[in-house]
Parts: sequence; structure tokens; C-alpha cells
Amino acid sequence: MLVPVRYSVERWSYTLQRVTGVVVTLYFVLHVIETGNFVGGPTVWYVPPYEFAKAYYEEVKEFLHNPIFDVGLVVIGWMVAFHAINGIRLTLAHFGITLGRPSRVEPDSPPKSFSTLQRAIFWSSIALAVFAAVYSLNALMGVFAR
Amino acid sequence: MSERRLMLLHYVTGLGILVTGAVHLWVVFFTVPLDQTIWETTMLFDGHQFAIMSVYRNALLASTLWLLLVFTTFHAMNGIRVILMELIPNERVMRVAKWALIALGVFLVVYGTRTILIAYNIR
Repeated sequence: MLVPVRYSVERWSYTLQRVTGVVVTLYFVLHVIETGNFVGGPTVWYVPPYEFAKAYYEEVKEFLHNPIFDVGLVVIGWMVAFHAINGIRLTLAHFGITLGRPSRVEPDSPPKSFSTLQRAIFWSSIALAVFAAVYSLNALMGVFAR
Repeated sequence: MSERRLMLLHYVTGLGILVTGAVHLWVVFFTVPLDQTIWETTMLFDGHQFAIMSVYRNALLASTLWLLLVFTTFHAMNGIRVILMELIPNERVMRVAKWALIALGVFLVVYGTRTILIAYNIR
């Protein structure tokens, strides 16, 4: 069901939406745990001294600041942008917007659920995702503006 | 909760994430000068050009961040549920998955809220 090969673009969008959703969920869980280090780690359930939290986070930053995590975040940037724009397309389709008037289904006619407008939003989600990846590549590793 | 209501909430939280996530990305990324990386400018504590701590100290931005946490947690947990339901349409699996996802969701909200609340109060 998840393998879109041999099917239409719509099936690719279906698979990509789910794969990106799962990967971004994994990132989200790790991100909530990681940002817990802002205040001094998981054992802190009171307001710690400023200097303690700062020293703790500087250590974590040393660990996080490396090319592997940076590239990982670029991929996450691509996925979040794709999932967001394609998600708007799915939301519109769910409420019947962009689907056009109901009509008789002819043999071999393209599916109503992937109208021209729907297709346009899908491809712009890919394009915007590439832009987001390039932007985050620059923001994280300073590739272009040097 | 009925399937219909869960999916409606899925779309509503999705739109909520678009708004609160935009604010989140804006304060982290788009206030950074383009010729520097986030590691140089957007670090956490004072002494850097832009300290993320100042985001947490602003009540409005901290609340937006909390909303993003709640929206994303629901959206992610319900999303995993939908994917599982499609892949393994088995009632027993779904019952276990439901409680596992609720537990993970509660953990994320509690732990994230702790971080936001403490960071808001650190001076």
C-alpha cells in the first residue's frame, strides 16, 4: 500500500505525506527532549540558577553542532515544508474545495481527487520544500552567503 | 472520540501548526542575518546576538510555543494512529497503540510544558 511505484503521482503524494509525517514525528519527540536541555536537562523540575542552565546547554551544543545533525535538519526542513503545503492540499480536498463539480466517471479519466489545481499545489509543495531545504542549508552551514 | 471529530481536529491542529509553527520558525530563523549561520547568531543564552531565551521570556511567544507543542503532539499522535490503522487494521493492535500514543502524547506535553515554564522563569 505504501509503495507508490507503478501508480499515479497521487499515490506518491500519499506515501510521501505519511513518510514525512512519521519522520517529522520522530524529530519532534527528539526536539522536545533536546530542548529540555535549555533549562538543565531532564532531572530539573524547579527553576535552576541561570549559570547552571547555561553551562549545561553549552555542553549539549558541543554535541549537537556537527555536519551530520546539520544535514539531518536540512532533510527535516524539506519534509516539514512538503508536509505543510501538501497538507493544505489534503485539507482543501477533504472539505471538497478544488475538486470541481461532481460528474460521471469515464473509463481512463484522471481521478477527480487530483485535479489541475490539486496537482499544482502538490508540485509547489515539492518546489517550496526544496527552497526550505536550501534556506536551512544556508542558515545552518552558511553554504551560500559567504 | 468519533473518527469524524478526530479527523476534524487533525485538520484544525494542522492549520494551527501552520500559524504557530510560522511564528516559531520566524523567531529562530528569519531574524538571523543571512551571512551568518544559526550557530553563530541564534544561540540560547545572553552574550549572543540573539538569545532564544528571550523568546521564552516573552509571555506571548512562550504561549505560542506552548500552543505549537499541544497542536503538534495531537497532530503527530493522531497521524501515527491513522497510518497504523491503514497498515494494520486490527482491533487489538489499535487498542494497544491508542494507549501507547496517549502515553507518549502526555509525556511530550508534560515535559515540553516543564521546559517552557522553567525557561520563562529563569533569570
